[in-house]
Amino acid sequence: MIEFVAVHKFFGSLAALTDVNAEVNRGEVVVVCGPSGSGKSTLIRTVNRLEEIQSGSVLFEGKDVHAKLGGTALNRLRSRIGFVFQSFNLFPHLSALDNVMLSPMKVNGVRRSDARETALRLLDRVGLSAKAQNYPAQLSGGQQQRVAIARALAMEPPAMLFDEPTSALDPEMVGEVLSVMRGLARDGMTMMCVTHEMNFARDVADRVWFMDAGRVLETGAPVDFFRSPQHPRAQRFLSDLHSR
Amino acid sequence: MSLLPSMIEIVRDNWLLLLVGQYPNGPLGGIAATLILSVLGIALAFPLSVAMALASLSPWRALRWPVMAMVYITRGVPLLLIILWVYFVLPLLIGHSVPAFATMLVTLVGYEAAFLSEIVRAGIHALPKGQMDAARALGHSRLGAMRYVILPQALFNMIPSILSQFVSTVKETTLGYIINVPELTFAAGQINNRLLTKPFEVYFILAISYFIVCWTLTQAINMVERRITARRTAGVAAASALPATAASASGA
Ligand SMILES: Nc1ncnc2c1ncn2[C@@H]1O[C@H](COP(=O)(O)OP(=O)(O)OP(=O)(O)O)[C@@H](O)[C@H]1O
Ligand SMILES: [Mg+2]
Repeated sequence: MIEFVAVHKFFGSLAALTDVNAEVNRGEVVVVCGPSGSGKSTLIRTVNRLEEIQSGSVLFEGKDVHAKLGGTALNRLRSRIGFVFQSFNLFPHLSALDNVMLSPMKVNGVRRSDARETALRLLDRVGLSAKAQNYPAQLSGGQQQRVAIARALAMEPPAMLFDEPTSALDPEMVGEVLSVMRGLARDGMTMMCVTHEMNFARDVADRVWFMDAGRVLETGAPVDFFRSPQHPRAQRFLSDLHSR
Repeated sequence: MSLLPSMIEIVRDNWLLLLVGQYPNGPLGGIAATLILSVLGIALAFPLSVAMALASLSPWRALRWPVMAMVYITRGVPLLLIILWVYFVLPLLIGHSVPAFATMLVTLVGYEAAFLSEIVRAGIHALPKGQMDAARALGHSRLGAMRYVILPQALFNMIPSILSQFVSTVKETTLGYIINVPELTFAAGQINNRLLTKPFEVYFILAISYFIVCWTLTQAINMVERRITARRTAGVAAASALPATAASASGA
């Protein structure tokens, strides 16, 4: 469903992604891990073209996201790819409910009453129906991130991308966000998650991609990855993780 | 003869002229004209400035360049010269004479729009980059993201700057004097020409009049600013139990 074909990406002379070839299948949960600066955020942001690439292609449902597209075609593609940011990026001038309702109404032309109904259902799904009228500043980090997930789901995307969704959270709030993500995985959502939560990877992921210096070095099942990582860098990454 | 009684006498004899000029027997003038000119100037300049800011941030050079040119001109050329220029050139361009009031208004709108567009641009830049990313990721077009996500936040943050620009505009309308726009300074000039011997008193009254208008407006701005700050800190205080990222996102 999401396919990277010989993707190269440079920031100036810095090679951020080098010859990435990998695929996320429909219904699959892929966890992307790797050391800081290895290109995880860059990779996941190429899927909805928040980052441009210099060569290769990224296919979403068979369509080349980085082809010459009219603005509308790209917007339509993006609206079908849910994206959750490390820093939540809720719209602070809108209530939780309005954050979730905005894009279905303005991008997809959904009627207000329908958008509201969907938004309330989604806020309920992430456990926040009581906070629908609150503004982001009146919500905890974990609550904000759950609203952000509901906001992404409101576009009814066939796939969801997560870029370190729990890294900005206090430890006691990590669980509530992960449990929402587990629920999504259980319901069969196609997911690509950059995260350092190795328990989540172990329990939920179908495969773990390990990245280092802009390359995807491993794409194995979690059991294999955690028990017997092939690449020396992956071995070092895991042992560093354990010694922390 | 002392200053104060003589000033009071001048005001008593001329208050109507100072307030509304020769209206209703002539064109509206005085403080009324000054305020109308300022309000109209800012009210028309504001939407134009938002359009200019969007143009200057657009990926198309054809939109960016004219705006940048206008901004550089208004930054580099004194307003007085622009007024004279419009006064002499506009009639040549359109083939018939233009009333002084309209000339002044057109000039002010262009000048203030250029200034405000820089304020709007700064306000847009000051928002965290994640806001645009989030809007685009949801499928909004650039303009849609601006309209529903970026501008509501940026413009709200800029309300105090826009109001201060309004106070500057009130003071800038004095320059209309040079092309005989019948505003407050012009009215004072008329009084001075009639009395001949009391320039100090007349222009002191003029200064006080401007001071009262601008001081009142400034107080109003301060009040608005306090409200805005209160509204923001109320939000942050309610969320004070959170990690820093959440608080900083709300401060935007
Ligand atoms: N906008 C940018 N301009 C220049 N270099 C960048 C930019 N964004 C990222 N980089 C560089 O690209 C490389 C990959 O960055 P990226 O953010 O993808 O890493 P990451 O794996 O997500 O790291 P982290 O775990 O710290 O989030 C890094 O060397 C980073 O410094
Ligand atoms: Mg990252």
